[in-house]
Amino acid sequence: MKDSTKNQLEEMIARTALGDRDAFAMLYEATSSKLHAICVSVLKDRPEAEETLQEVYIKIWQGAGRYASNGLSPMTWLITIARNRAIDRLRARTSRPVTFPSDEAETLPSSEPGPEAATIRTQERKLLDNCLAELGKDQAEAVRAIYLEGQTYADLAARLDKPINTVRSWLRRSLMRLKDCVSQ
Amino acid sequence: MTEETPLTPEQEDDALAAELALGLLEGEEAQAAVARLSEDPAFAQNVRDWQEHLAGMAEGMTPVMAPARAWQGIRERLGHIAAPLTEDPTKALPWWRGPLGVLAGLVAVAAIAVFLWLPGSMQDTAGPGYRAELVSEDEALRIAALLENREIEITLEQGAAADDRDFEIWWIESDGSAPVSLGLIPPSGSTRVGLPEDATPGENVQIAISDEPKGGSPSGEATGPILAIASLTRL
Repeated sequence: MKDSTKNQLEEMIARTALGDRDAFAMLYEATSSKLHAICVSVLKDRPEAEETLQEVYIKIWQGAGRYASNGLSPMTWLITIARNRAIDRLRARTSRPVTFPSDEAETLPSSEPGPEAATIRTQERKLLDNCLAELGKDQAEAVRAIYLEGQTYADLAARLDKPINTVRSWLRRSLMRLKDCVSQ
Repeated sequence: MTEETPLTPEQEDDALAAELALGLLEGEEAQAAVARLSEDPAFAQNVRDWQEHLAGMAEGMTPVMAPARAWQGIRERLGHIAAPLTEDPTKALPWWRGPLGVLAGLVAVAAIAVFLWLPGSMQDTAGPGYRAELVSEDEALRIAALLENREIEITLEQGAAADDRDFEIWWIESDGSAPVSLGLIPPSGSTRVGLPEDATPGENVQIAISDEPKGGSPSGEATGPILAIASLTRL
């Protein structure tokens, strides 16, 4: 993401926090199709994704005031809210306990430099894509399925026909390799 | 998935942060990790770093437009606008719905009629509109798209998706950018969606219909065959 877009989003969030409905409308227009794509990807059901999208923006409206202190770049904050909400809903569907501590993770207080010091997003995304490619097909697919479709270790174990513990240690190693790659 | 040397304590921490960011932890392990967020700033930062890295996957997704009613619903639920039909039905009729209103209505209709008869009326002020008529090769499927004021109305005129399938609408610009999903075609009636912010309407834009699994393309990119495609034409 370009820096100017990032600053605009921050400005929209800051104004939304002050109750500015026009800014909220602009934020919705600029980001809703991305957040909707995430809801669709996780839930694979349009009416549910649409319902979730509404809940996500209600959360954004209510939580905008806490954004400045959480240390995430604006798009990551928005994406994380959408993804967590969609996954909560996905797990509620199968009456599995909700395993994502979403609210806590979204609002972690940060003592780090503000989001304006965050890395330039476009470069970061390219780096992540390259690193996922280096990881190998199975590993990259597993990470994507977990992040973009809300799969669990149990889902992966069933798909790969391996014990959960084996799958978990395999994925943890993959994540460490991913981290090494993106941190270089 | 062969056994290797165990992870170092530092790597264990890293892996835990990643698992928390991904929502993979369950039960007591999840609770303990969440509790640690408020006590261990380095761990909390590690989770944030993972959130930043992972969000890149979502940013790379093809956008999927939500129907216009979603925004309507958000504003209603926040109390920013009144929901339709929430007016008190026992309230006295407003003046324009009484006899005086009928008269005013007739005058208005007459005024509009005169306006429409005027040569070279002011159609351009609302911005140009576009339409597209999409017909499948076997002519079994017929869909109309009407674009006005950055809102597009899609109407299924003929044909139906199979029981376990849905028709998905795509906006394709000629600059080679990825098609953007405008949503699904309802089984009957029509749907209205706002255009994506960076969409530029014009005669070089194509609208396409693809056949997708129920609920739409799981990936946000067209997966099924394109059944019909047409360019926008100016109204």
